[in-house]
Amino acid sequence: MKIFKQARRDAKSLFQACRTNGVLDESKVREVVQKVVATKPRGYVGVLQHFQRLVKLDIDRRTARIESATPLSTAQQNELSGTLARQYGQGLQISFEHNPSLLGGLRIKVGSDVVDATVQGRLDALAESF
Amino acid sequence: MNSILQEIESQIAGVKSTAMKQNVGVVREIYDGVAKIEGLTDCMANEMLDFGGGVTGLALNLEETEVGVIILGEFAKVKEGQEVRTTGRLLSVPVGKGLLGRVVNSLGQPIDGKGPIKETAFYPVEKIAPGIIKRKSVSQPVQTGIMAIDAMIPIGRGQRELIIGDRSTGKTTIGIDTIINQARSNKAAETAGDKGYRPLYSIYVAVGQKQSNIARVIAELEKAGAMPYTIIVVAAASDSATNQYLAPFAGASMGEWFMDNGMDALIIYDDLSKHAVAYRQVSLVLKRPSGREAYPGDVFYLHSRLLERSARVGEKYGNGSLTALPIIETQAGDVAAYSPTNVMSITDGQIYLETDLFYQGVRPAISVGLSVSRVGSAAQIKAMKQVAGRIKGDLAQFRELAAFAQFGSDLDAKTQGMLERGKRIVEIFKQQQYDPLPIEIQAAVLWTVQNNLMDDVPVDKIKDFQAKLTEYLTTRKADVLTKVRNEKAISDAIAADLKSAVTGFKQTYT
Repeated sequence: MKIFKQARRDAKSLFQACRTNGVLDESKVREVVQKVVATKPRGYVGVLQHFQRLVKLDIDRRTARIESATPLSTAQQNELSGTLARQYGQGLQISFEHNPSLLGGLRIKVGSDVVDATVQGRLDALAESF
Repeated sequence: MNSILQEIESQIAGVKSTAMKQNVGVVREIYDGVAKIEGLTDCMANEMLDFGGGVTGLALNLEETEVGVIILGEFAKVKEGQEVRTTGRLLSVPVGKGLLGRVVNSLGQPIDGKGPIKETAFYPVEKIAPGIIKRKSVSQPVQTGIMAIDAMIPIGRGQRELIIGDRSTGKTTIGIDTIINQARSNKAAETAGDKGYRPLYSIYVAVGQKQSNIARVIAELEKAGAMPYTIIVVAAASDSATNQYLAPFAGASMGEWFMDNGMDALIIYDDLSKHAVAYRQVSLVLKRPSGREAYPGDVFYLHSRLLERSARVGEKYGNGSLTALPIIETQAGDVAAYSPTNVMSITDGQIYLETDLFYQGVRPAISVGLSVSRVGSAAQIKAMKQVAGRIKGDLAQFRELAAFAQFGSDLDAKTQGMLERGKRIVEIFKQQQYDPLPIEIQAAVLWTVQNNLMDDVPVDKIKDFQAKLTEYLTTRKADVLTKVRNEKAISDAIAADLKSAVTGFKQTYT
């Protein structure tokens, strides 16, 4: 479905309204969606679709995914969380995953930034260089 | 032995395993050689992106939530959901003398099967043109070897001269002739050991042309022995629009290397109408807003930034130059269309080729009235100025009178004389393709016409007279020609020599 320019603009202003101090407020997001669905303004499906996309991108930006070849101890997890919070600011959702296929090391993904310190990543880079 | 082991151990301990920090995105859409990528928050404009598996892309559109990328190479390999990385590099092509004699694609990769290229350096494809401080006015000539151009529309090193005309009016031929003439002059100066001569290297950029045409041009250049001084950049009609869009910029980078290193280069963009069409396609699939004739708003900037890269730079900055001969194809002689007017306003003059003249047998079919060179006369050698100074005016007058003369037969002697002179000049300017003439022969022949020595030769015999005179001068009076070439002017002594040579020849000519 084509999302019209006006719908995009409306979605963006709704999205801006849901932010407090630069961090997305989940309760406000819920409220906005309920209000829009209830009042059904012109082109509201497009507005909601674009709104969902903006929220998704924001969540992606504020989500850190840490994959490690061996499970990390709580102390290690706390240290990593602290470092990431210092770098990317408050409101970061951090998830830890255990992924043996990395062979060794860590892979941290925050938004579109990736810090790859895994054995598998290095092997891939090596294979690519040939 | 122990010390070696310890050394290795300490080396290993010293090696720090650093983590690779990257910025990645995910392919959201892929169509027509264009991809929309989500993520890539640190992506820069015109940055190269790595799709993995040897496929690269060029970030052209930086939007609010996504990045519009044109894919270089095989876009069929790219899949939705695939990861894309930034590289922090700009698109670059190999440059240097190692490219001379080679045929490359728009990324500078060889396509002539002659093995890898020995490049000197890599230059970014998009580069800022030299500024006003670096520039110098045009002062040295580019001899095209085409008499009509060298006499009436002279081109200087660092100039941008547009070649414009309908299909099959000989636009490419002018470019090829010029390349061949440069190769001949370079070779002649090399064999003579002339240190003062500045060789002119040529770059021919073929955009959106048929492969058969390109093959013909290459064969012609090889036959003339011009390939050792020429680089050919090919983005044929079957190449993607992306490659066709990039080819002229890649060629310009290769030319800029010569300019930056104090050498002279000539670049022919054949042709920019197809380049504009390729850019229009790229822009439309990237969903950029379209304007007149569906071209994007920045189609003027596309050509202006390309042609501004041709320049003559001052002694302090290497004293090099890059001359550009862009070609534009008009539709049914319409020079007021969009891209012709755009490019005309950027260049320092144009050579307009007319279909009517071409079919009348006037080849090269240069229209004297509409062709101009705004800066080239400063670069013309004195000998040529002496003999050709008045020709353009004479020829324009001839055309006007010829139109009048059709109505009546009673003409005064002065008008008759002007008409006869005009007819002879038109004949003199007719020239075979791929046969450029050295400047001293041009000067000698034009001197003969201007000094009334051809007035008694019938018009239909002029070409024959010219050919035999040229042969006579080159075989029997080579010393006079050498003097013209070295002194670059026709002094009274040379004029007397020329007069005796021509009158001597006329006694034997039947």
